[in-house]
Formats: sequence, structure tokens, C-alpha cells
Amino acid sequence: MFDLLIVAAMLWCAFQAVRGTRLLVAALWLAGASALTALLMFRLGAPEVAVIELSVGAGLVTVLFVFAINIAGEEPPGKLRSLVPAPVAVVVALCAVGLGAFMALPNLRSVSGIIQPERFAKVLWEDRSLDVLLQVVLLIGGVLTVLGLLVEGRAQARKELQ
Amino acid sequence: MWLSLPFLSAVGVLGLLGIGLLGLLVTRNLIKVVVGLQVLVKGALLALVLAGRLSGQVQTGQAITLTVIVADTIVSVVALALAVQVRRQFGTLDLRALSTLRR
Amino acid sequence: MPTIETLALLSILLPWAGALALVCLQDRKPALQHATAVVFALAGAVAAVAMIPQRTETNIVSFPLGAAFGAVTFLPDGLAVFLAVVAAVIGSLAVIFSVDYMKGEKQLGRYYAYVLFFIGSMVGLVLSSNLLLIFVFWEITALCSYALISFYNDDPKAVAAGIKALIITQVGGIGLLAGALFLYVYQGSYDVPTFLAGAAKLPADVLALMAFGFLVAAAAKSAQFPFQTWLPDAMEAPTPVSALIHAATMVNAGVYLLARFYPAFEAVPHWRMAVVAVGAVTALMAAVMAIVSNDLKRVLAYSTVSQLGYMVYAIGAGGVFASQFHLLSHAVFKALLFLSAGAVIHAAHTRDMREMGGLGRQMPLVRNVMVIGGLALAGIPILNGFWSKELVLEAGHEGGPLWAWLVMLVGAGLTALYTFRFLQMVFWGEARGGAHVHDAGPAMKVALVPLALGTLTTWLLAGDFWHFLGKALPGGHEAESTGALLVKIATAPATFVALAVVAAGLGAWWQRARLAALAGALRGVGTMASNSFGFEAINRGVVRATVESAEALRVTHSGVLNWNILAILAGLVVILAILALGGA
Repeated sequence: MFDLLIVAAMLWCAFQAVRGTRLLVAALWLAGASALTALLMFRLGAPEVAVIELSVGAGLVTVLFVFAINIAGEEPPGKLRSLVPAPVAVVVALCAVGLGAFMALPNLRSVSGIIQPERFAKVLWEDRSLDVLLQVVLLIGGVLTVLGLLVEGRAQARKELQ
Repeated sequence: MWLSLPFLSAVGVLGLLGIGLLGLLVTRNLIKVVVGLQVLVKGALLALVLAGRLSGQVQTGQAITLTVIVADTIVSVVALALAVQVRRQFGTLDLRALSTLRR
Repeated sequence: MPTIETLALLSILLPWAGALALVCLQDRKPALQHATAVVFALAGAVAAVAMIPQRTETNIVSFPLGAAFGAVTFLPDGLAVFLAVVAAVIGSLAVIFSVDYMKGEKQLGRYYAYVLFFIGSMVGLVLSSNLLLIFVFWEITALCSYALISFYNDDPKAVAAGIKALIITQVGGIGLLAGALFLYVYQGSYDVPTFLAGAAKLPADVLALMAFGFLVAAAAKSAQFPFQTWLPDAMEAPTPVSALIHAATMVNAGVYLLARFYPAFEAVPHWRMAVVAVGAVTALMAAVMAIVSNDLKRVLAYSTVSQLGYMVYAIGAGGVFASQFHLLSHAVFKALLFLSAGAVIHAAHTRDMREMGGLGRQMPLVRNVMVIGGLALAGIPILNGFWSKELVLEAGHEGGPLWAWLVMLVGAGLTALYTFRFLQMVFWGEARGGAHVHDAGPAMKVALVPLALGTLTTWLLAGDFWHFLGKALPGGHEAESTGALLVKIATAPATFVALAVVAAGLGAWWQRARLAALAGALRGVGTMASNSFGFEAINRGVVRATVESAEALRVTHSGVLNWNILAILAGLVVILAILALGGA
């Protein structure tokens, strides 16, 4: 019962995040959806990644959104007509999800026993060390990209002021 | 069976994927695009954790999920930085106005 | 003395660290950029040379990377260390040369960073013994080559040449990747020594697919027939880059691949014949194209393609040692020729030989070293090119078909012909250009002189070199001493035939006035050669077809995210429907 509530609330938050027109409100709904996803992950037996998702998804990303929205400015009022007609979008999305459900849900396995008794840390650092290396490379690349983007912006802003 | 955790989680995954895709289809604002993307990736993360749980290899599922979280966060950071710069350069975040690939 | 593991990692990571340092250094202080590049290049060279006494035939594991990838392993045996030293040392000399050549150019950071990144990757390519890792390094060198060919990115010719090189070598890279994946499927790991020891365990057709896939990859990378069109166009790169990448190191990667995997593939039916054919056809075709070309760097580029054809031919005929010996000589004298050509071009401000002439009086040092390099290329006795080319011809005579050997002989004569042609056009005769030229700058001289000395002396190391390559050579021949090898080469009848052909080539150039009638009869061949025997036309046709089909499809590129996502989603629905109804 509890799980049903979590899933329902998560889907509601996600829907509100996507639907709203004001950006700050959308970011807050997204934070809610992230938190509920983290809770669901915890219920599925993955506590470490649930905590990480909570702090990163609900915390870091939300702060970043708020920051970016403050700098970039809110969306101007007046609902713009979406380019893809809304009925077409809904139909296609429902088809995709429906087909996915049709294929996946009947074949859902029952939960098997835990066959990996090792701790998460051991699995991460030993078996998946290539992944960790890739994450480090991605992080460095991301930092360099953002620095490059924002430095140029500041130099341009300074030039405009002069 | 209908209220068991795996089934509900699978429904949650599919729901998130659908909502995320719907968001990407109808929005015209660059920052809303990032929101839609985030919802989509949450669905994917949940699917990975679910797969780990169902096959019994929870830790491997968690490790892969961690990698995806890192990658997705970096994507959203860079996308938001880009959105800020686009706003400064072009003055608008509207996708239609920004598209320059038309003849 | 650091261990071999440390040295192997250092020789790759030191140049990469230099590249990173140059990325961080902005373009404000050129002197600092030059100095940093030289320091890191030399450090990498020292690390590579330090590996020589410590080479080993066993795999060294650097670090494991989980079950799917295997481990990062290096196999620093004789063959690998030899090529690593060539890459690192000639790389340092090219960087030193660049200090003078690129003086005053913009964006030095980008240039040096790519050059150092390339040097590290090339060393990594030859040292690796994990086939997927070899592929990764292979692609990195292709990327650096593209970036450096298009370094002058305001010039549309340079950009087009860079893209052409990238596309052709990538097509070859597919052959390598396919081979690597086949190996993983049938062997369970990417480990190269395991494969070489037990190649017979793979099914015959898979082995044949791998063998020909590798041949395609090697031919594309080393600009052999039918992939030879990218190398002459790659001469748009700055000359030190041409010397390093397109003469002394990257194009050797293809030859290295064939030499390394020869023990595994020699039993595949028709493979050796295919290799011999590719080498022979390329050598002859490129030599003909060199005779009619008027751009100094293009002549050298065609000559590189031709000499690589000799090396490939030698491998096909079973003479792996001969091919590596010729690789050593060629790397040294070709780098020398390119760098001195760079000095000439820098001074005369043109690449067209018809506007040069009489430069020997004003550039004595460059003339002398370039003559040394040219004599080595033509195969004149005493210089290293003579010994190695004769060894190649001898190996070909023993192990390959007669028609190929005759083709290579004719090629040797043509080589002498075009060598003397370009030397004469540049350095002797009356000055046709008007520019005032000065001799090479100090950094250029520092780079040129060791290469000239090398050209004069590397042949003395023949016996030690055989010993050095050791188990990498197939057949387990007894190691011979330098003296015995030299005597064997000097007294073989093939040598005298070859010398006669070379003399004929020399004589043909000298007496060209008298042979004008013959030249007129062959004019048709000359015109075909300047049009590169139709290959450029094929390239242009392919490019035009691609661009036109892309223009026709442009309407689907609206650039609006929503429509793009709708299209992706629609495709997904179609796929899911097929799977659902087909009963997945």
C-alpha cells in the first residue's frame, strides 16, 4: 500500500513538473519527484544509491536550476502554443509506453534471492573500476566545459559594460 | 501481484518515461527541456535499480546507476550553463526562435 | 633505474602531460610554450630509450579494468621498443625543429598539444598488447593527424585534406575493430600474445576475415593501394608534422600491425600474396606519380608511399626483419628529407619546385644533409637506405613471386630518377625564384644534423638490431652478426642487379635531354599519373554523391527539438510494435 502511494505521488510530481509554466515551480516539483524516486530506490534495496540520488537529484540539481533560472530569468507570461500538436504528442507517447508495458509487465520476474553478498563499495571499486575511471574523466570534462562557457560569458559581459 | 513492489516499480518506470517524453514533446522553453530530460533519466535510473533487484545482483545495479547519475548530473549542469549563455547571447529561450537550421 | 612498467607508462604519459600543460598555458607566452613542448618531448624520448636494455618478452600488466575489457597490458619486446624509440626520438627532433619553423605562428598551444598527444599515443599503440587498447590508440593517432593536417584551419584546402585523411583512415579502422571483436568472441579476451601463440585454434574463416580486415586497416593507415590518396593531400600540414606523422611514425603503424600479426596470419591462404601485391602495386604507382609532381612535399609524400610499399612487400614475402630494418632506415632518412624540405620551403616561401633552383649556394648545410638523405632514398651504397633496400629485395627474391620482384626493381630505378630530379631542381641550376633565402635557423640545424648522422650510420647496427628484435621475428632464424649480414647483402647477385638499375635511373636523369623522345612517348602515362590514375576522380565522385544525398535530406533537419523527439519516438513505437507482434 505504501509503495502504491510512493509511486502515485512520484508520477504526480513528475507530471506537474512537466506541465507547469513557471520555471521555479517546475524545478520544485522536480525536486519532489527526485525525493520520491530516492525513497522508491531505498524500498527496492539500494540504500547507497538512494542517498546519492536524494542529495544529487533533489539537492544539487534543484539548487542549480534555481541558480540558472535566477540568472536567465523566468519565462514571459502567456502560454505559447506547442509546436507539436498536443493530441499527437499524447497519442505517440501513450503508444510507446503502452507497447513497453505490454511487453515488459507480463514477463516481470519474481524477485530472486540476493546472489551478490559483497558490499557495494567492493563491487564499485574492483569490478567496475573502469566505470569509476570514466566518471572521473566525465567530471573533469564537465568542469572544463562549464568553466569555458562561463568565462567567455563574463568576458563578453565585461566588454558590453565598457 | 498488482500491489507487489516490482510491479509497482515497473509501472513507475514506464510512467516516468512517458511523462518525460511528453514533456520533451510539448515544451518550448530550453530550461523546461532540461526538466523533461531529468524526469526521463529518473525513470531510467529506477529501471536499472529494479533490474538489479530482480536479478539478485543489487550491488552491480547500484554501481551502474551511480555512473548514470554522475553522467546525467554533468549533462544537466552543462545544459543549464548553455541555457544561461543562450539567454545572454540571443535574449530568448524559445526553441522555435533559436532554431537556425531552417533555410 | 625505474622498472620497465614505470618506463612504459612514463613514455606514454610524459608527452600526454606535456599536452595537458600546453592546454593550460594560454597563447600569451610563445617562448614558454616552445620550451615546455621541447622539455616534455625530450623527457618522453629519454623514457623510451631507457626501455631498450630492459625489454622483455613477457606481458606486463599495468592495471586490470574489470572483466569486460581485460587489463591494460603492455608487451615491451624488441619490435615494440624499437618503434617506440623511433616515435619518441624523431618526435623530439620534430618538436625541436618546430621551434624555428613555427616561430611567430598563432595558436602554438593547439599545435604542440596535438603533437605531444600524438607522440604519447603512438608509443602507446606499439607498446600495447591488448587489441582493444591498440584500437583506441589507433583512433587517437588518427584524430591527432586530422587535427594537425587541418591546423591552418582558415585554408579550405587544409581542412578538406584533413577530413579526407580522417575518413579514409577511419574506414581502415573498421577493419581493425572488426578483427578485435572477432578475437574477443572466439578467444574470450583481447590479449595479443595469447592470440599469436594459438592462432590455429580459431576457425579458418574467422582467421581469414581478421587477416584481411587487418590488411585493410594497415593499407588505409599506411596509404597503400587503394587508399593512397590521403597522404599527398596531407602535405598541407606544417612540415614538422609531415615529417613526424606522415613519414616517420603514424604511417608505420600499418606496417607494425602487419609485422606484429604476421605469425598469426601467415598460414591464411592468399593473404601473403595479397600483401605482396598491395606493396608492389603501391611502390610502382607512387614512384611514377613522384616523377611527374612539381610540389616538393608531394614528391616526398609519394616517395613515402612508395617506400612503405617496399616494407609491406617485404612482409608479404616473409622478410619481417628486412621490412623493419628498412623501416628504421626510412624513418631516419625520410624525417631528414622532410625537415630539410621544411627549411627550404620556409626560406623560399613556396612549395613549387619550378620556382626554386640554385638554392644550394645560399643554403649549404641544408643542401648537404638533403643530398645525404636523397642518396639514402635512392639506395646508393654505404648509406643506410642501400643496405636495407637490398635486404628487402633479397627477401622478396627468396620468398615472393618473380613478377613482384621485377616490379620492385623497376621501382628502385624510378626512385633514383625522381630523387635526382628533385635534388637538381631545388639546389642546382639557375635561381628561378626571386626570393632572398637564408640558411636554416639554429634549432633547425640541431634537428637536422643528428638525422644526417643517423642516415650515415644506422646500418652499422644491423646485427644488433636483429638480436634486438629477437622473438618478434618469425621462423626463429639464427641471429646474425652485423658483419655477416653486410657481407651477405654485398655479395648477393640481386644486389648487383639492383645497383645496375639504380645506375640506370641516375643515367636516365643525367641524359634526359637525349632521352626526350622517350619521355614524349611516355607522356600519356605521365598525364595519367598527375591525375593519380583516376583515384582522385573516384574520391570526388563519392564525396559529391554523399553531399547531394545529404542536401536532399535536409528538409528533415528542422532543428526544432520537439519534432526531432517526435521522430525518435515514432521510430521507437515502430520497433516496439515489430518486436511485440513478432513474438520477441
